[in-house]
Amino acid sequence: MDLFVQPLLRSLETGSVYALAALGIIIVWRTSLVMHFAQGSMGMFSGTAVAFALNRYGLPLWQAVLVGVVVAVFLGFAVDFVIIRRLKRATSVGKEIITLGLIMVFLGLAPIIFGTDPMLLPKAIPSGDFNVGGATITYNGVANILVGVAIAAGLYVVLQKTKIGLAVRATASNDQTARLMGIPTRTVTLFSWATAGVLGMLAAVMIAPTTTVTPTFMNSVQVTALFACVLGGFQTFYGPVLAAYIIAVSSNFLKLYVSTVWGDQIMFGLILLFLLLRPNGLIGKTYMKKV
Amino acid sequence: MALRIVKNPHLHFILFGVILALLPTVGRGMGMKTSTLQTLGFMLIYAIVALGLNLLLGYSGLISLGTAGFMGLGAYLAAYFQDDLKLGFWLAVLAALVIPILIGLVVGVISLRIRSIYLAIATLCISEILLKTFEQLEWFTRGTAGKQSRYPTIFGAQLDRNAVFIVIVIALVIVMMLTYNMVHGQMGRALHAMRSSEVAAQAMGVNILKYKLFAFSVATMYAGLGGALYLFFLRSSYPTTWSLFMSLTMIAVVVVGGLRSIYGTVLGAFVIYAVPELFLKKLPVIGGIAGLPYIFSGVLIILVIMFFPNGLKGLADIARNLVVRLRARTAAKEVAA
Repeated sequence: MDLFVQPLLRSLETGSVYALAALGIIIVWRTSLVMHFAQGSMGMFSGTAVAFALNRYGLPLWQAVLVGVVVAVFLGFAVDFVIIRRLKRATSVGKEIITLGLIMVFLGLAPIIFGTDPMLLPKAIPSGDFNVGGATITYNGVANILVGVAIAAGLYVVLQKTKIGLAVRATASNDQTARLMGIPTRTVTLFSWATAGVLGMLAAVMIAPTTTVTPTFMNSVQVTALFACVLGGFQTFYGPVLAAYIIAVSSNFLKLYVSTVWGDQIMFGLILLFLLLRPNGLIGKTYMKKV
Repeated sequence: MALRIVKNPHLHFILFGVILALLPTVGRGMGMKTSTLQTLGFMLIYAIVALGLNLLLGYSGLISLGTAGFMGLGAYLAAYFQDDLKLGFWLAVLAALVIPILIGLVVGVISLRIRSIYLAIATLCISEILLKTFEQLEWFTRGTAGKQSRYPTIFGAQLDRNAVFIVIVIALVIVMMLTYNMVHGQMGRALHAMRSSEVAAQAMGVNILKYKLFAFSVATMYAGLGGALYLFFLRSSYPTTWSLFMSLTMIAVVVVGGLRSIYGTVLGAFVIYAVPELFLKKLPVIGGIAGLPYIFSGVLIILVIMFFPNGLKGLADIARNLVVRLRARTAAKEVAA
């Protein structure tokens, strides 16, 4: 029993991190049609800002996270306003290459601004744990799971039930028609980038206590989040979230029962095989390309 | 006849190679440092790898983020075949070419059937898997301690640094010729057709998947070759070298140099790799910053895509047009006078 519930709870915790990062990627994809390869690095940058505010200026965690939100929103605005918005003529490949360039910029900027020493970020709730069916989970783990689920659910409600959500979905389905209908698509896109930035920052803050804050600490999150989008399909907002949890759970169980070293590799291979059977992901609709 | 020989692009490539090959001897006479030669050697290796990526990105619009992984694989395979199995230079190079292609084909077949962008994600994943493998497969790579190697022996002759440099130059010239022939042959016409409209090309009977796979295999093969040369030149390989940053640098080389341009790619390698190493690091105040080359390449990528979609090659074209126009204007004035 212990060998089942314990890893399950642990997986839900990391699954939330992947889900948040994946949500950021999917929001940008839906509104700007850009595959956001820099989601992890932007999250890394604002996450490092949080660690910096905490370690250098001794701010409490919640204030440091607020600093992170400001940094993330600012970066999201800046990237869309300065670069993406001016790229109307560039091909989609060009836009993707831009996000690759952004990775390099943030990788280079982070050590210059925040110093080269690796930093630590404490857990939001330092100690204490629950006992669930013979397995234990820290309060912090529960908080992570709740935050992940709450944000995913909150975004779902906003997207499906509110006027703002309608604007986002309209922009996502057809940018031009949406503009004709009076939807400020540019503002929608601008705020999508900012939202993606904040989601990336939260993912960084949640994963940071398990590692040290270095310029590359979000790389695995980025890869997994992209794969969550692929597995979940790019057509819905909830597909990638579901896929993120599935990936986290299967990764942990493969590591536990098959191989600690090769668990992730096996899982990525399995996802690629799965895509052969269902090319559009778990909840994918057929993707039609117009001539 | 004479004009046809002068205009033969293959001769240009060979001439280019001869000039590069003379660099170590001429350079020593002019007091060039060994570190400069080292930088130039790596720059040429970057050019080889980027040429493959240029075929992939420039013609089929596909992004591969696995370049570093395949390069690393090439490097470790070369070391394993040369130093552990003692099979000699040629078999080591052959292994570094063939095995990455096989892995690339498997990845390509799966991801390209679905949607182009999936190749980028799948190769990113393969690259991360390979990186983890390099760190953990001790018998093959010696893990993080790094694999040590030595200069290769070709036809019984023990090479030194300068000789390996010349081997790199020869490889570059061969790769340039191969790429030129591919682009100007039937393959190139199919790739060109695909680039302007995949649907139209498909209607004309071009098998899109086949050509995309071909372009990707070439990119993987050049990456494997580049990795092997990297190992022979540096005589060691560490897992940290083969990170995502290397793959991004290769994309920067292609984008900055100009898509679909062979000399542009070499120039791109110079700007992205040699300029930070040779010049930026020597600048006062900002030269010592560790992240500077990253920012330099990243900002260049963004600026080039935003303002000069054809890269350095595009700039050269603009300059040439200006000259032609000026000449036409002066000619017109002379006629008027």
